[in-house]
Amino acid sequence: MSEQYPALIVITPLLAALLVSAAGWLRPRLCFPLALAGLGAAAAAATGLLVQVLATGPVTYRLGGWEPPWGIAYYVDNLNAVVAALVAWVALFNLVASYRAVMTDYPEKIGPYYTLYVLAVTGMLGMVVTGDAFNLYVLLEITSLTGYALIGLGGGRAPLASLNYLFLGTIGASFYLLGVGYLYIVTGSLNMADLAKLLTPLYGSLALLAAFAITLVGLWMKMAFFPLHAWLPNAYGFAPAPTASLLAPLMTKVMVYVMIRIMISVFTVEFVLQEVLVGQLVVWLAVAAMVAGALFALGQRDLKRMLAYIVVAEVGYMVGGAWLGNRLGMTGAVLHLINDAVMTFCVFLAAGCIYQKTRGTSFEDLRGLFKKMPWTMAALAAGAMAIIGVPPTGGFFSKWYLIRGGLEAGHWGFVGALLFSSLINVVLFFRVFEIAFFEPSGGDDSHGGHGGHEEHGGAVALAEAPLSMLLPLMAAALGLIALGLATGPLVQKLILPIIPAGLG
Amino acid sequence: MKALALAIVVLVGGLLVSATVDFPDWADPNSPASRHVSPRYIEKTMEETSVPNIVTAVLADYRGYDTMFETAVVFTAGVACFLLLRRREPRPGPSRVYRHRATGVIVEMNRVPDKEPSPDVFKRIDDDWTPHDLIVMNVCRLLIPFIQLFALYVIAHGHHSPGGGFQGGVILGASVILMALSWDLRTAMLRMKETATGLMSAMGVFIYAGVGALALALGGNFLDYAALSPLLRVDPVAARSLGIFFVEVGVGLAVMATMVLIYKNLASEGRLDQGL
Repeated sequence: MSEQYPALIVITPLLAALLVSAAGWLRPRLCFPLALAGLGAAAAAATGLLVQVLATGPVTYRLGGWEPPWGIAYYVDNLNAVVAALVAWVALFNLVASYRAVMTDYPEKIGPYYTLYVLAVTGMLGMVVTGDAFNLYVLLEITSLTGYALIGLGGGRAPLASLNYLFLGTIGASFYLLGVGYLYIVTGSLNMADLAKLLTPLYGSLALLAAFAITLVGLWMKMAFFPLHAWLPNAYGFAPAPTASLLAPLMTKVMVYVMIRIMISVFTVEFVLQEVLVGQLVVWLAVAAMVAGALFALGQRDLKRMLAYIVVAEVGYMVGGAWLGNRLGMTGAVLHLINDAVMTFCVFLAAGCIYQKTRGTSFEDLRGLFKKMPWTMAALAAGAMAIIGVPPTGGFFSKWYLIRGGLEAGHWGFVGALLFSSLINVVLFFRVFEIAFFEPSGGDDSHGGHGGHEEHGGAVALAEAPLSMLLPLMAAALGLIALGLATGPLVQKLILPIIPAGLG
Repeated sequence: MKALALAIVVLVGGLLVSATVDFPDWADPNSPASRHVSPRYIEKTMEETSVPNIVTAVLADYRGYDTMFETAVVFTAGVACFLLLRRREPRPGPSRVYRHRATGVIVEMNRVPDKEPSPDVFKRIDDDWTPHDLIVMNVCRLLIPFIQLFALYVIAHGHHSPGGGFQGGVILGASVILMALSWDLRTAMLRMKETATGLMSAMGVFIYAGVGALALALGGNFLDYAALSPLLRVDPVAARSLGIFFVEVGVGLAVMATMVLIYKNLASEGRLDQGL
């Protein structure tokens, strides 16, 4: 069975999504258990695969039994094994956490909602484990399409934000496809390992440079790398809470993974970093992303939108780290990818809990929440500490690697921007906590309907989010600290073996 | 701003075009794309899969995994349309349709009239009225069975001639949409209910993925149709050919049902009551 793990990771959620869809028409009550079973099986298979890869080295799986490059093959090493496990587990926790929200908000449409949810996870897992450049595009289509629908379901301006995302996302995906097309024209292959072999004699060709550049721009568009980030804040800000806490932690991270995979497995780091000037330019773009993300976040008066801009800044950390051109930077980028998925999940889920209780996430809705929702706010604080980079959370250690990478590369702009954005994060989150801790929950505001009957300064009734949301949230918060404590083995066993030798 | 955008488009376009100087010439038999993977497909397809149509073999067998997810993309599009468009509440401001008893002239009003006209002069017929045209309706009625028969032929004959699940599924779906256009949505809905549409579109992808999973359960890799040979009681190469046929049926079903599902939701603003 264990040799089938790579297939099971993708197949079980796909079959589950189809069964969920059928259940949606016939027995809507079965939708959630089926989705849970599918994602649970995927998480188990991903964990099994991670253990297997760590024990015995990279795994190749031939789909249809055809050897590459004629057929499609999965290639799983430490990097994608850990990202796949991360995606599967975060998606599973978020599924449990979103149970109540989906039941109350979309009781009529749980069938299609869970179908698309599980399909989105299928697409992300497929993108992570595949070793075929075109297969990756097909799964990217699935993930994007489900994402547009899940975001468009939100109220207010969500459909418009989703349409905007659809336009830009489609352009990004088309760029990626065009780049793969160029690669196919010059090599005749789509398999990543095969491409790497065939491309070596072609380095220096203009077509290859164009292919690399256009693939990269396409991916940057999908991961919302500044200045191609315009779709993200609205899309994640207006998305329904369960969607936001699925896509915000995972989608951008999966795209960063794809970028790193293309950089180290299709091309070589020597090729990618041959023009020092280009590498510097990308890192400067990352600097702009960090600074702009932080400054835009300062201007927001809504928790979810503020977090969305923080995601823009975080993408800058990872892209910048990957392009610094040294081992420390790449290690930091991969480590931050893991940490960032968990901390973004933690804070977006906390925002989801707040929305579940107050029906809003604007700063006015946060007043007095430390008394009403102490557990949620504690988890939000843990997430905030990780985003700021306070030890012992994982965020501290990945930033540590990134800063050391920046120092080694002599890129002071990167180091400065990273520290600047961390300081802004301090301001951002302490402003939130000030409102939530000191300002009394509004009994006289126009929001009405929530907390309206509480006395000023009096005993505030505990109104905590349901347990089905709190437990995954607590798991995420504890996971942040666990990741921080596990940094040593994580870097030694998991990340260092996959850093290409070409990096200085 | 527009000038800047134009400048960027011209610049990037120029770069992309200039990169094509490194491309092989048109129809160059020595180009990498013709020398690397293609020769095996051309020389071995018949021997390895017993499918005469190379395109079908590459699409549904060598790279069948991509095609399974392309079918899933079609299915996803249908579910997404349903999720975003389907509404349960009735149309606001119902329209009224009356027939003038003396002349047979039909009047449609966009809203409820302030004063109901006399039932002796105008008969209210909005429950059963549909716009119709005798010639269009009957020509379509005659054509639709043949269109559907042709669709089944296209699906089944994908092994030997251009065609297959996607093409046949589109023709099949178009026949149902033609019925909805020439008669009305209600007539089409009577023949293909919403639940049936939704179930068929999921079932189509399930057939594809299920054939793959069956191969996995029988000891092969996922989608390795050769592993089905003990079950089908044929040799492994013939099992590949049959496996391709099964998945093509799944593709056809999914494409047909999804097309109809999307059409129904778009044409009636998600209400599925009336519309085109």
